Amino acid sequence: MTQSPMTQSPMTQRALIIDDSKAMRSILRRIVAGLGFETAEAAHGREALDHLEAATATGRVPHLCLIDWNMPVMDGYTFITEVRRRPEWRHVTLMMVTTESEQGQIVRALAAGAHEYVIKPFTPDAIVEKLELLGLVGKGVLA
Amino acid sequence: MTLSPATGPALADVQAITEQVWSSFLGDEEPLLQRFTEPSESGSVAFPAEQVWSAAVSVHGDWTGSITVELSGAVAQSLTRLMLALADEPLEDADIADAVGELVNMIGGNVKSLMPGPSALTLPVVAAGRAAHATDLAEVARLDAVWNGEPVRVSVHAPRS
Repeated sequence: MTQSPMTQSPMTQRALIIDDSKAMRSILRRIVAGLGFETAEAAHGREALDHLEAATATGRVPHLCLIDWNMPVMDGYTFITEVRRRPEWRHVTLMMVTTESEQGQIVRALAAGAHEYVIKPFTPDAIVEKLELLGLVGKGVLA
Repeated sequence: MTLSPATGPALADVQAITEQVWSSFLGDEEPLLQRFTEPSESGSVAFPAEQVWSAAVSVHGDWTGSITVELSGAVAQSLTRLMLALADEPLEDADIADAVGELVNMIGGNVKSLMPGPSALTLPVVAAGRAAHATDLAEVARLDAVWNGEPVRVSVHAPRS
């Protein structure tokens, strides 16, 4: 028997937190885990791309990536451009969470494919508000 | 040759940014209080000889400068415990360095946004001990504060032009 999408149970949403700071990853993890997300972490863009590749192989691509800008190895902007080159990752929601607050840089990130932009420091409510706007909080993501 | 003064953000802006970062991640229960010092007062008065952490980021572009944070060891440990949500377990130096680095990254990134751009922000450099500044840099803003009775200093340096 095949379930119709309407009767499927909401599946757990997955978030990948990409930041070179363990402390910042910890803060973001607590916020999104509190919203019911299953979380994974990467310390830079290259590690995050590797995670997406592995997740693609197992059918567990994250629904959401929270991305810092300034990181070693591969920065957040480059990560976004790499993700947007891959059609199989077009449904991944990309949210920058960064201290980079120059208007030109924000426009650049959004043009490259980021959906939302949060400037550090932030409050948990600011993250929740953005996720609500993106439709990732307040409703289930169907399998 | 006459040197023109180095330019940087207003102290009030540095204070506002620091307080915003502080309250966002450390809460408002114990506020960061500004501590007034004489311009000539050296840091050795405020900071213990040991157990000090410092971190800096640099900005390069239409405005060039560096932003430095110095904290007593007690503040650095409290900051780390709050950011990592840890209770009484021993802390690794790497975790303290990470938390102090993220603190200066947030303060520095927001100072950068006040200054003429475009510019780029470096990754934080963190050290156990007081900060050292190159002699071709001039201090353009300095916030001395206390938190839980412990010293906190945020300073901005720019090249003597």
